[in-house]
Amino acid sequence: MHAITARGLTKVYKNVAKADKRSLDDLSISIREGEVFGFLGHNGAGKTTTIKILCGLARATSGEASLFGTDVRDPACRAKLGYLPEQPYFYEYLTPRETIEFYGRLRGRTPEQRTADWERLSLLLDLRDIADQRIKSFSKGMRQRIGFAVALVGDPPLLILDEPMSGLDPVGRRNIRQLMLRCRDEGKTLFFSSHVLGDVEQICDRVSILSRGKLIREGRIGQLLGEEPHGVEVTAAGLGEADRAALVPAAREHRRLEEQDLFVFDSAQAAQEAAQAIIAAGARLESVTPLKQSLEEFFMKEHGASKPEAQA
Amino acid sequence: MRTWIIAQNTFRESVRDKVLYVLLLFAIASVLGSKAIGWISIGQDIKIVKDFTLASMSVFGALIAIFVGTSLLYKEIDKRTLYTILSQPMRRWEFVLGKFLGLALLLGLVVLAMTALSALYLLVLGGTPDATYFLAALLIYFKLLLVTAFAVLLSSAASPILGAIVVFALYVFGHATGVFLDLPAQFDGTFSKTLLEGLYYVFPNLSNFDIRAEAANGVAISPGYVLFAMAYGTLYSAAVLIAAVWAFEGKDV
Repeated sequence: MHAITARGLTKVYKNVAKADKRSLDDLSISIREGEVFGFLGHNGAGKTTTIKILCGLARATSGEASLFGTDVRDPACRAKLGYLPEQPYFYEYLTPRETIEFYGRLRGRTPEQRTADWERLSLLLDLRDIADQRIKSFSKGMRQRIGFAVALVGDPPLLILDEPMSGLDPVGRRNIRQLMLRCRDEGKTLFFSSHVLGDVEQICDRVSILSRGKLIREGRIGQLLGEEPHGVEVTAAGLGEADRAALVPAAREHRRLEEQDLFVFDSAQAAQEAAQAIIAAGARLESVTPLKQSLEEFFMKEHGASKPEAQA
Repeated sequence: MRTWIIAQNTFRESVRDKVLYVLLLFAIASVLGSKAIGWISIGQDIKIVKDFTLASMSVFGALIAIFVGTSLLYKEIDKRTLYTILSQPMRRWEFVLGKFLGLALLLGLVVLAMTALSALYLLVLGGTPDATYFLAALLIYFKLLLVTAFAVLLSSAASPILGAIVVFALYVFGHATGVFLDLPAQFDGTFSKTLLEGLYYVFPNLSNFDIRAEAANGVAISPGYVLFAMAYGTLYSAAVLIAAVWAFEGKDV
């Protein structure tokens, strides 16, 4: 069964004064149980709108979506959902202990289960030292930890996280990333939006890229970036002027780095021939490295291509 | 069950937001106000105190109902606390009803405390709060529930300031709907008369809950009238709450 299914999801925000805004346009996605799915897109691409529809906070103008086969308009489907909004807000007058208790009660947890939830989550999210302080005085990182704890109340099999790492310092980001990896290892399904592409690359099985409300690419990261290297980097030291000049025309890129020469070749064949030439010239071959496209490069390329001016 | 959890939390929020300080204001206003009026109406002390304390209950209760009520849902949307609540397996009507009940619980406590303080003050002054006095306090509570229902309805669609202005206007006009029927003869047969008579039946008639004069003068009130007023308040509040749920149901947050 799929944890999340969306078919033809469209959201149009009516505006009396201005033109209607089509925030989401015929979006269809399926996320399998146990999968870690990254949802990418620039600001205003429709990521949060999609997440809000899936979490029951907004209604789609057309199309349908379901969680574990139950329509998202049925509140019962949210018993299996843990949701972390971007910049989560909680009742400031409550303490973390009271907050976890409150959400446990809303989820219908028994007193024993709520005690067990607190024991587990306060340890996992390091909340014990701040257990009885009011949230009012908490930093963003602390609020994010509480937000993650709230999403995990009742141990739901599906987590939907909206920009879980935005605005966090490197330590906070690492902590959230480790938590996500832990949830993945426990077999949970993770669906999250993020701007931090390095993190997405490390955690996700599959990603989709959204632009102006439309899904423009979707697939496994390896598939999208290409399994084949998109160039080979060769570095050498001690090359003479004539040998260097002979190699430069075949290279896509050439740079002088103090004693070294760095060449980038389009194919493995060209790189191999260059390496042989370097050795034959009596210079020192320092490295031969296949280059892979980063998710960031891919994202920027796709995002650029989806802009109307780029298409024109 | 979830409705009750939301209600408890709303009550807790109001208590921690120090809304109950209004009781202190009520006590000060009642003592000082009734003393001041007592000086200019010799020999009427007990009657004045009864009248003044009941009026204070109505005004201070309405202030809580209007100012807390009109921000109940709006604050949740504005501060985004709603995101993690509506994404729980709960229905929106449970949330709206819970918010209303939480404030109704708080108002119940406030009216009870104000009634107890007033009764104590009357006893100290040598008076006796009779059954009509307590029934008057009970009907004030039902009136406050109706005002709260309107405040909740407004809070799902308007900012607290706009909501407070509208509900305050409703509160003032609601005590004077009789003028819609008592029009001078020159209005007979006009569209204005039909419109105003129509408004008389649509507008909440808050004077139905007002038995202050009877309470001040120690006049007995029939149980039938009290039951009518309570039923009127309950049904009207229910209708307004249904409208609030309907407005909130389709709202994107």
